[in-house]
Amino acid sequence: MDRTERRRIAEALVLGSPDPISVARIADIIPYCKPAEVRQLIDELNTEYVKQGRAFEITEVAGGYQLRSLPEFAPYLRQTLKVRPLRMSQPALETLAVVAYRQPATRAEVEHIRGVDVGAVLRSLIERKLVRIAGHRDVPGRPLLYATSKRFLEVFELASLEDLPTLRDLQELAPEGALVIDTDADPAPSSDVPEQVAPSPE
Amino acid sequence: MTTSEPSASPHTATSVSPYGVKLHAFEGPLDLLLHLIRINELEITDIPIARVAEQYLEYLEVMREFDLDLDVAGEYLLMAATLAWIKSRMLLPVERDEEGEEVDPRAELVARLLEYQRFKEVASELGERRLLGRDVFDASAPGPVGPSEAEREVEISIFELVEAFRSALRRAGPSGAPHEIEVETVTVQERMVAVMEAMGTRDTIEFDAVLSAEDGQLVHRAVIVATFLAVLELTRLEALRIFQGLNGNGVPQGPIHLRRGEDAAATNWRGRIAGSM
Repeated sequence: MDRTERRRIAEALVLGSPDPISVARIADIIPYCKPAEVRQLIDELNTEYVKQGRAFEITEVAGGYQLRSLPEFAPYLRQTLKVRPLRMSQPALETLAVVAYRQPATRAEVEHIRGVDVGAVLRSLIERKLVRIAGHRDVPGRPLLYATSKRFLEVFELASLEDLPTLRDLQELAPEGALVIDTDADPAPSSDVPEQVAPSPE
Repeated sequence: MTTSEPSASPHTATSVSPYGVKLHAFEGPLDLLLHLIRINELEITDIPIARVAEQYLEYLEVMREFDLDLDVAGEYLLMAATLAWIKSRMLLPVERDEEGEEVDPRAELVARLLEYQRFKEVASELGERRLLGRDVFDASAPGPVGPSEAEREVEISIFELVEAFRSALRRAGPSGAPHEIEVETVTVQERMVAVMEAMGTRDTIEFDAVLSAEDGQLVHRAVIVATFLAVLELTRLEALRIFQGLNGNGVPQGPIHLRRGEDAAATNWRGRIAGSM
């Protein structure tokens, strides 16, 4: 099986999978194919698409590959939609951003950062499957914990959470010596500290 | 960027959208404070609290006049109180903590502002990404199973529903013939069950069909009223959704359809109806 054939199999897999298909999965299916080769095959395909002036490309989202149309064709594709095109309001984006960087986070933590009630926004994000309930925090009241979903990565074209835009450093925002900021006062746990999460009843 | 007429809406920031000038309210007290800091060209870590607090209250006053953000008024007022508290503490002799360091009464607020600011920044970065369903579209996923044929989903306003209701009323018999003695009582709950049963195993049914009798007979007005309320209640319980088709110009037209809800609510409608009463 030559290179071209393997490339075509990879293309078919990306095209035909209902969900983004991972490197590992493609490597499994194509005989004697290593993950590194899968990445090369995908790169070659994308290069081919650009050369041929195709209207689509293979994008890495949510830990897998997906064939997606190029943004310049959005005005045409929107007309084929059965539902209204996706809209992201400012409150929704801000709430998503806080949940994304602070997950798992309680509603109170999100509200502390945004300074407003986020109940309705959170509900609508859950309804749109961008945010999920990730369990309870084991403190009195057992507040629900919210986290972003795989769908969030898909919609925002993120390969993984590490792909999120970098949150600016607080020190960078506050000039040196201007003010001592007590980071311990921050009620939200830092996301790099693993947290004991009680399993969700669902 | 354009500037709004100060007399018209000093409480909002303006931005130009393809659809003309769009006004938007602030996202909350922190957003308003950041705006004040920006327009006054202040250093976020050294806010003149008295001045900012005064301006903050002025904005609040205007917002109240325009009845804006009434649902979040409490959050804005809480911040006003915080600003007043910080202002008063600034007048007191400098406090020191256990280590003898000066305590800036503004420190906590500044920390919150900085924190909010960086999330606001990434939020707009996220919003500028290529979004699936807005900027890019995927090839393989079947997509949400939408309404079939040429019928696209639109939100039906209460007016269209009321219009359909009125035409059903017009078709209905008189509101009770003078000689009629027997009064049939109809409950909304009964009609809810009837609507769901009329749907049977179908996924959709015409709204008109549930408002008229199967045998084409005149339906009593009370039944129509109860049915109308039943449909609203079933929608609220998410057992039903209401749709209308669009014509070529994207204008809602044609019969209104009731569609079975998508989740458990739809299958367990009996439980839902029983539980709602």
